[in-house]
Amino acid sequence: MTRSDFSFKRYRKWVIPLVLLAAVTEGAAIVCGATFGKLEEGLIKGAAFFRFMFPPDWAAFSEMLEPAFQSIMIAFLGTVFGTLLSIVFAVLASSNLAPGWVRNSARFLIGLERSIPEIVILLLMIAAFGLGPMPGIIALSLGCVGMLGKLLADIIEDLDPVMMESMESVGANKMQVIVFGVLPQILPNLISYSLFRLEINIRLSVLLGAVGAGGIGYELDYSFNMLQYHRAFTALLVVVVMVFGTERLSYILRKNIKMEGALK
Amino acid sequence: MKMIDIALPSQQYKRKVTIFSIAAVLVSLACVYMNFNPIGFFTEFHYVRDLLGEMFPPNYHVYTENSSTGYAILQTLSMAFLGTVYGGIIAMVMAFLAASNTMPYKFIRLIVQAVVSLIRVLPTLVVVLIFVIAVGPGAFAGMLTLVFTTIGTFGKLFADIIENAEKPPGEAIYSVGASHLQVIRYSIIPQVLPAFIASLLYAFDVSMRAAIGLGIFGGGGIGFRLQMAKSVLHYKDVTAYVSIIIVLVILTEKLSDYLRRKVLGDEKLN
Repeated sequence: MTRSDFSFKRYRKWVIPLVLLAAVTEGAAIVCGATFGKLEEGLIKGAAFFRFMFPPDWAAFSEMLEPAFQSIMIAFLGTVFGTLLSIVFAVLASSNLAPGWVRNSARFLIGLERSIPEIVILLLMIAAFGLGPMPGIIALSLGCVGMLGKLLADIIEDLDPVMMESMESVGANKMQVIVFGVLPQILPNLISYSLFRLEINIRLSVLLGAVGAGGIGYELDYSFNMLQYHRAFTALLVVVVMVFGTERLSYILRKNIKMEGALK
Repeated sequence: MKMIDIALPSQQYKRKVTIFSIAAVLVSLACVYMNFNPIGFFTEFHYVRDLLGEMFPPNYHVYTENSSTGYAILQTLSMAFLGTVYGGIIAMVMAFLAASNTMPYKFIRLIVQAVVSLIRVLPTLVVVLIFVIAVGPGAFAGMLTLVFTTIGTFGKLFADIIENAEKPPGEAIYSVGASHLQVIRYSIIPQVLPAFIASLLYAFDVSMRAAIGLGIFGGGGIGFRLQMAKSVLHYKDVTAYVSIIIVLVILTEKLSDYLRRKVLGDEKLN
């Protein structure tokens, strides 16, 4: 490195953006009440607390297995029903299958759903149905629509129109075109997207559990509130294994599907 | 092909039916286990209708009556912004330490990679609960959580971006006498910077959504307001908060998309 590397001329155009960024950061820090003193204190306390959680309470391990399984089931069912729901929305939201006004209103609903965080949907569902896995599953299913619905609708709109026209020309009705023409073509994408969504839903189901959908998230939150930190650490380990395991599994499956091409 | 082959269902069709029925059986078993009735959503839809009846019309007076609503929105925005800025800076530094073409020592690379994956698998719920205990509930705890999640999500991505940077420009200036640091400064950084900035704009969008969720667990901001209104059953206020959240999220998304397009140029946006 020489002196010319640090000449002012080289960095002149960066000065104004960086000053602006620093000013906004400072303003945001004041709003959040964030100072470096507090940060240091927080990090030290956080680390000390983390150390305090050791060792995990192995006796509670067997109690954690069923809630963990429940969480996985919530995520699984949420993904399955969410995918089915998304297919319906995707068909309604693609311009080559649905009339213009249906397409636009379906797109609007999908966009609206996408902008509501899942946790807010869950809060509303709990308000409607009470606590338990049911509002969790419904919230996750509805949460799928925003992402899967949009992705699938985009894929359907990109499909080759010739194939659909030729099916129609030999007498297939709309339903037959969708079932025999559209679905087989989007199936590989559908499976890999819903596996990806399953990953997200597993993470979410932990979060949702803490709000009242049951499962491992509830155990975690409960142990924290009851100050049983060793137990909480066991739950944490179970969650980490669960999340990591699904991620690997979904990655391997998705890779295989991609290699196989269309799953016939 | 004989007539009988056409009349009977094909091998492929049989396989499809088998897969489909196995899946259907699994799903219904899972439903029975969880005591979940998918039809229940429709038969018990009156609960949703009752709730909607209580939620409408939205009580928009919460914006004007309660002067702290604006402040709560500002808090959520600040949380997301700070989480993205600090998380992004740390993620960038870690990425340069974890990429094979910027960090020559394998030992350090492995350590940094391990740290990033560890942060990645830590559930958000645990991080926020720990920070709420460590620094007390409020926007600061939420911000620290967002720093963590941003590092986890974008640390690996940034390292991949650096490793995918084109080698020939770096080799060219290395061959005429540039040092390793100069190669990083004049070949790698200019290549990866637009991608980094675009990713961080996207990260802000993601953090914004997460910040709303974190408020519910004691992270402060508009999510906390929503949770409070819901727990005291003021559903008309809830609707007002939800609508402001929707507007916030949509605006952030549009802004982030627009800026990303500016940074990357139209055609590169995937």
